[in-house]
Amino acid sequence: MLELHRVARLYGHKVVFRDVSCTCAAGSITLLAGNNGAGKSALLRIMAGLSRPSSGTAHFTMPAPRVGYLAHATFVYPALTALENLTFWREAYGLDIAPADLLAGLERVGLAAHAHEHAGVFSRGMAQRLNLARVLMLEPDILLLDEPGAGLDADSLALLHQEILSARKRGACVTLVSHDLVNDVPLADRVLLLKAGKLAFNGPVTHFRELAGGTEQACCA
Amino acid sequence: MRSLSIVPAMLVLSGSLTFACCQWLIYSYAPTEATMGLTQKIFYIHLPLAWWALFSFFLVFVGSVSYLLKRAPGADRLCAAAAETGVLLSGLALVTGTLWARKAWGVWWTWDPRLTTTLIMWFIYAGYLVLRGLNPPPQRKSLVCAVVGIAAFLDVPLVFVSARIWRSIHPAVFAAKDGGLEPEMKLTALGCVVSFGLFWAGLLWLRKRQLDLRDRLDTLASAAQQQ
Amino acid sequence: MLRLTLAVARKDLSLTLWRGNGLMQALLLGLLIFFVFSLSQEVGENLSPQSAAAVFWLSSTFCQVLIFNQLYALEEVNNSRLGLLLSPAPIPAVWLGKAIAGFILLLFAQLLFLPAAVVFLGQSLHGPLPPAVAILLLADTGMCALGSLLGALAQGQAARESLLSIVLFPLLTPLLLAGIGVGAQIFGNPSPNGPGAWMGIACAFDAIFLATGLLLFSFIYAGEE
Repeated sequence: MLELHRVARLYGHKVVFRDVSCTCAAGSITLLAGNNGAGKSALLRIMAGLSRPSSGTAHFTMPAPRVGYLAHATFVYPALTALENLTFWREAYGLDIAPADLLAGLERVGLAAHAHEHAGVFSRGMAQRLNLARVLMLEPDILLLDEPGAGLDADSLALLHQEILSARKRGACVTLVSHDLVNDVPLADRVLLLKAGKLAFNGPVTHFRELAGGTEQACCA
Repeated sequence: MRSLSIVPAMLVLSGSLTFACCQWLIYSYAPTEATMGLTQKIFYIHLPLAWWALFSFFLVFVGSVSYLLKRAPGADRLCAAAAETGVLLSGLALVTGTLWARKAWGVWWTWDPRLTTTLIMWFIYAGYLVLRGLNPPPQRKSLVCAVVGIAAFLDVPLVFVSARIWRSIHPAVFAAKDGGLEPEMKLTALGCVVSFGLFWAGLLWLRKRQLDLRDRLDTLASAAQQQ
Repeated sequence: MLRLTLAVARKDLSLTLWRGNGLMQALLLGLLIFFVFSLSQEVGENLSPQSAAAVFWLSSTFCQVLIFNQLYALEEVNNSRLGLLLSPAPIPAVWLGKAIAGFILLLFAQLLFLPAAVVFLGQSLHGPLPPAVAILLLADTGMCALGSLLGALAQGQAARESLLSIVLFPLLTPLLLAGIGVGAQIFGNPSPNGPGAWMGIACAFDAIFLATGLLLFSFIYAGEE
């Protein structure tokens, strides 16, 4: 559903990574791993179409897919209420969703009681739940997650994992950037490992485990 | 290591030499203007400065369009070199212009459309250079500069026309600057423009090459660092 | 495209006008400029119509820089810019939405600046009103088309306001001259040429920079950090 062909990314003169080719299939979860500064987020942005690769091509195999992107930043307007935030994104994405369904979307992430509160007073976890509601409202064909779990409590994290799994069930192509390999490797079907400016590993998660000697902690070493 | 082309150095040299020869044209061949006397000779320096400044800004526009289309870093460096040259030349054109105004009309500054346009262009492109001096992510800086480079040049004709209307609404105190040029004067002016053009081309080329080399050094340095 | 444009415009207006301190900063700066220029009048003397028109447009320009800066800063608070970029609608819709919001806010500010010109600078309205309104709308259109395009350029930079000012001000010269030219006529300095030529300039400016904004905005407004 998502194809990268020999993608390279330069930052000024510095090569962040090069020669990255991979495909992400529908109904699968791909884990994008690597150390700090390996370019995981940059690669995810290229996948999302948010930035252009310095060379190579990135494209979707289906026409006009819905792309959901969930990062550390919450995309929330603090001065709007939770419901207003969601209503704005509905308009911005040109979706046809009834107001009642928007409330149901807030319910789904456990924010129904806070629908009319300003998002500025939300904790990080609540704001990120609101962000999750925005992405779920899209019913994305391609779901890209950039360490969305950072700073979330156990409940929010469980909700996030549950929604990631149900997105796969729905047939979405999920790519997940993560540091938390212990928790996130079990979710994944495939692993992409960025290391020293190259794609060091690209294969099924079972194979990745074997290579790393069975322990998730050792995977990135 | 490739050896560097000597063409730009030759251009600068030949430009300087021919411009030196033009001094003869200016002071001996061209007649001294009746009312302004010797001061009118400023014109022969002012004109090429202004023309080549404008042409530099046109190059910024061309470079910006080509950068947006092809994303070639070279086009971005051409814009940088051309903008710097243009600001330098238009700055000098402003100085010579005010000297002229002081002698011809008794004031340092007038809202002559050409002079005004030059001033506004100087402001626009000086701002553009400030933008270039900032330090956002490199690719983004090039894009932003290209967009400003295009908007800036599209603005030039509007500035010129509006300055012209502005003046015509005011009482027209001053007559046209160079209404009737004698043929000798025209020839001299042409010679000055052409010879200064050689100098300009050499200057621009040298600056562009400097930027190219700096870019290569940076690339090599960061490649060495990564290994 | 229209839906995204309207959504952005509506959200920006409601965020600026009804939530937060909104337009206050821009309005106060504009009014201060009027006050300071009122000091240039000697006792019993009024500013010439042309000077008054110049002060009016100076205030409007400063106000506009602050407005667009603020409109684009809204998207940077929690990085919502990326969310907008992911919309299936074309990116220039954001430019148009911000331009419309900025246009309304600027008109709103000018509604206050006009009485300020009358009170502080001792002006009175003389000339025919329709051309005055026309040039006001035309000049504001051009200012907002360009302001919305360049408002995005300073994203992520320190000293955004001053950066935007030095790039934007000289580019706006034709519109300012047109605004001042017609404004002087309205404040009672009639000109034999009338406002026709200035209308032409303002129209040309609007056409050029509406097209430029539409074509070039997506280069400036991007997901690069």
